[in-house]
Amino acid sequence: MTEARAHVIDDDEAIRDALHWLLKTRKVPCTTWASGEAFLEALQPDWSGCAVLDIRMDGMSGLECFDALRARGNTLPVVFITGHGDVPMAVSALKKGAFDFIEKPFNDSDLVTVVQRAMESDAARRSAATLRQEIGARLALLTAREREVMDLILEGKYNKVIADQLDISMRTVEAHRSKVFEKMEVRSAVELAQLLKLHSGSH
Amino acid sequence: MEKPAPSTATNPTTWQSWLPFMVLALFVVLIGVLVWLTRAHDEESQRATLISDVLWMEQNLQFHLDRNATQLAQLGPELVVPEISPQTDAKLRQLLRAGSGLARIIWLDRNGTVLGALPPLSDDHLIGESLGAVPAQSIFRLARSMGRPVYGPVYEIAGGAHQFEVHVPTFTDAGLLGVTVGVYSLQDLVLRELPWWFSERYRVSVLDAEGREIAAKSKVAPLSDRQSYTMAFDPPGHGLLVQITAYRGEIRWIPVLLVASIVLLGSIIVWTIIQLRLQLARRLAAEQALRGETQFRKAMEDSLLTGLRARDLDGRITYVNPAFCRMVGYSAEELIGKLPPMPYWDPDHIDRTQEVHDMILAGEGPSEGVELRLRRKSGEQIDTLIFEAPLIDAEGRHTGWMGSMLDITEQKRTRELARQQDERLQATSRLITMGEMASTLAHELNQPLAAISSYNTGCLNCLADGTADPEELREIHEKLGRQARRAGEIIRRVHDFVRRSEPKREPLDVNAIIRDAVGLMEADTRKRRMRIRIDLAPRLPEIAADPVMIEQTIVNLVRNGMDAMEDNPRERRTVQIMSGEEGGQVIVRIADQGKGIEPDTARRLFEPFFSTKQEGMGMGLNICRSIAELHHGRLGFEANPDGGTIFVLSLPIESRPST
Repeated sequence: MTEARAHVIDDDEAIRDALHWLLKTRKVPCTTWASGEAFLEALQPDWSGCAVLDIRMDGMSGLECFDALRARGNTLPVVFITGHGDVPMAVSALKKGAFDFIEKPFNDSDLVTVVQRAMESDAARRSAATLRQEIGARLALLTAREREVMDLILEGKYNKVIADQLDISMRTVEAHRSKVFEKMEVRSAVELAQLLKLHSGSH
Repeated sequence: MEKPAPSTATNPTTWQSWLPFMVLALFVVLIGVLVWLTRAHDEESQRATLISDVLWMEQNLQFHLDRNATQLAQLGPELVVPEISPQTDAKLRQLLRAGSGLARIIWLDRNGTVLGALPPLSDDHLIGESLGAVPAQSIFRLARSMGRPVYGPVYEIAGGAHQFEVHVPTFTDAGLLGVTVGVYSLQDLVLRELPWWFSERYRVSVLDAEGREIAAKSKVAPLSDRQSYTMAFDPPGHGLLVQITAYRGEIRWIPVLLVASIVLLGSIIVWTIIQLRLQLARRLAAEQALRGETQFRKAMEDSLLTGLRARDLDGRITYVNPAFCRMVGYSAEELIGKLPPMPYWDPDHIDRTQEVHDMILAGEGPSEGVELRLRRKSGEQIDTLIFEAPLIDAEGRHTGWMGSMLDITEQKRTRELARQQDERLQATSRLITMGEMASTLAHELNQPLAAISSYNTGCLNCLADGTADPEELREIHEKLGRQARRAGEIIRRVHDFVRRSEPKREPLDVNAIIRDAVGLMEADTRKRRMRIRIDLAPRLPEIAADPVMIEQTIVNLVRNGMDAMEDNPRERRTVQIMSGEEGGQVIVRIADQGKGIEPDTARRLFEPFFSTKQEGMGMGLNICRSIAELHHGRLGFEANPDGGTIFVLSLPIESRPST
């Protein structure tokens, strides 16, 4: 997995350079691209961080670049930089799932903050995705009986009720329960519920 | 509007048209009857004359024969002797003289023996006598027995002549002594013995018992059939007839001439009547054609969609057509005879309407028509286009004014709407263009500014961190400076663009420019019923200025003035332009008589996009002031003491060159 960085895509060399300098002084790793085409060409699926896209560019416009990105299934957060007259365009981009937009002339600190938030969000999303993968793996370890018992635990039923319902002894239920906790790497039913909620919440 | 005369006189009934002919025919018949009666009367008198003449002739013959017989009877005793005395002979010869009708005298004894004759009898005379002997024995015997003269029948003798005899017995106391026979030549007796005047007038012929004509005294044929008379010729009798026929009298010219002239005059009358009738028919046809033409014209005028109105020289309405009535909503009766102000004049535009009216009556009506707003009876307003022309009668006299009126309310509204839309579109497109320009400029400027801002924030970040590397900072500041210059470059480009509309100065005479501007607006001024009065300084120094710009400014200010006086009455619709020189400046004053400028408006007057006019862009005065300032002059305004506003344009005579 590569280091998360901000990808600044702007056709104006001065802007690219200035933003690069600005982000560098705030310790945000940054790569600049002179056009959407160049960025898309170089793009790797495992790139993380965010993209800062100027809406008005010669050649491929920011919006086109954004659409192409999403068309590839890339979920990289995108921050748009808009000129004065481009606000409605930016709003529609937001609706399509852009992270945010910043209007020129911008407050540079705000810009950096937005970029940082976008990168954090990306990172969080990525870690959540990793966690979900792990929970899935843990769930896969459960036997069918353990799964049944776990579902009933999540419904908040007592062991005795579970035993009656599944027509097994209390001791067996307790054994299954401890097995479930062990396999799911939790210590309590509450923790289990939170874990599974995290897992199912992303779906 | 008068109704067409009822067409009874167009076709006179048949009896009326034939009456003169019938009277004339009656007249001719009566004349004919009169002529006939005159002729009949004439003939009657002729016949009466004839009869009296005939009676006279008969009497005359009778008398002649009787006298001869008496003389023969007297001679009888003297003849019945052996030797005739010379006296007797002389008497005999006297009797036989021409004119007596006697051809021969024969004397016989009591037994009928011829004793002698004068002229003496010859044998050849006796040969071929129709009755055998002369004298005839039967007559002799009859005479002897009757004892009085007896006439014998007519007989033909050799030579075709006819004779008859008279036997006159002579008695003594002892009885019959002898008979004296007179032989009459019919021709001599009847024809030669008649007086000349009688034979001039009548043809006398003698017919025997069989009706054959045996003797005739004839001058010339032909003879009248009717004017003839036949009577018995007795003596001698024996069926002998005398026929007397009047010669056709010479033609009596006077009645003929009279009749002929009557016929001629009658013919002339007939001809005249026919001519009169033809004339009448032609007149009727012409009248019919004229009526048809009039009706056609009236129908045209009535069905016309253009309103027509005629006025006399005083402006009194003398005629209106239905279209005019429809347009203004008043009936013809309500309008005809009306003097201005007319009921259909719009009270809101009464001054202007009166002005147009006066102008037309003064003969100054524009030939391209006048637009006028009128008010219908219902109170609705209508816009009309009126064309007025002098009404010239057949003698070439100017008797009034003929106006045609078109209802252009709809067109005008449509035109107005189109114009407004057009203006709005233009304004919009101007705004869009300006917006476009502004947007481009904003984007262009944003780029370096954003870069500068980012560099600057970065530097501040470095300084805050204490990680500032002087070398790095220097580099960044160089970049920063470049971006600042880039922004400056953009501003300079804009400035260059603006500089392209700098005035092109040339020496010019402001008076000439004012005159040009007034000329330019002349048509518009007239159309808007405004007046421009110019009051120029006799001599103005030349100034260096852009003529197009100055002219544009003047036009703009005059137009504004006119706009301000749109609703003014006629006498307050003048824009006055004055020029003069004051303190090294040429001053142009443009004064209107409008409502003036309120203080609220005055403050914002030169602001861009500020306008008191509904359709105004709000740029006119702004541009005017910019132009004045481009020439280092000023544009201001002051209140007009007469009401309204005076705009003052001052331009320095010594214009500094623009920087």
